[in-house]
Amino acid sequence: MTDATPDLGEVVLTRIYDAPRELVFDCMTDPAHLTHFWGPVGVSTPIENITVDLRVGGVFETVMVNDDNGERYPSSGVYTEIDRPSVLAWQEPGGMVSRSTFTDLGNDRTEVRIHQTNVPAMFRTPEAQAGMASSFDRFADYLSRQQRA
Amino acid sequence: MDEAQLDATFAALADSTRRAILARLAHGEATVNELAAPFDISLPAISRHLKVLERAGLISRGRNGQFRPCRLEAERLDGATDWIEHNRQVWTDRFDKLAAHLRDLQQPPTTEGHTS
Repeated sequence: MTDATPDLGEVVLTRIYDAPRELVFDCMTDPAHLTHFWGPVGVSTPIENITVDLRVGGVFETVMVNDDNGERYPSSGVYTEIDRPSVLAWQEPGGMVSRSTFTDLGNDRTEVRIHQTNVPAMFRTPEAQAGMASSFDRFADYLSRQQRA
Repeated sequence: MDEAQLDATFAALADSTRRAILARLAHGEATVNELAAPFDISLPAISRHLKVLERAGLISRGRNGQFRPCRLEAERLDGATDWIEHNRQVWTDRFDKLAAHLRDLQQPPTTEGHTS
């Protein structure tokens, strides 16, 4: 994998954490950790709603629950690559692959890079690329705000 | 947009000819003949592509006359773009919460005699 700017049809997010690589990796694979952060803002993921069968071909299933109205958001995937503590990947039924790489930056700092590929073909239309370009810009703004904070 | 609609939209967009048709329609309405002109494929083949796009809600076709001009339904396209941004927001939130969780995990245990 290279660090070249990805096709706009792919999604890449990176984040640096002040934590050792093994711990960050375990957070992504242990329901007792996942329940603390898997749901986005306003959405929870109770531990009993998380299934992790941590082997290639094993399932990764979650049901997130909206805190306001109880709406449920199930999602499922199958692990395609597991190499603790450096690589974790799963594939969703639609074909999208989410592959996370964990890089040890030294001093108990870890960079997580999630690279989503085989995302729906939507990305390749000119209109969607325009939309993606602007959301990349917004994300860059967001990141620079985070770094200044 | 629900999951089934999204699937139909993405399936319709999986084909490069159909994406080219949409790119052309982004510049304005066109008839089947006009849409077929740049492609080396038959009119019936173009019509089949248009039917897929119409079923996916990505285009609509005029009711009047034999030409039935095609029009891009940008709203549906926006719906799919929204999904992409939603996906990004979910991961951004998730990463923020993971950072907070990691801070909690690594907090040194309190040694004070009295805590709240």
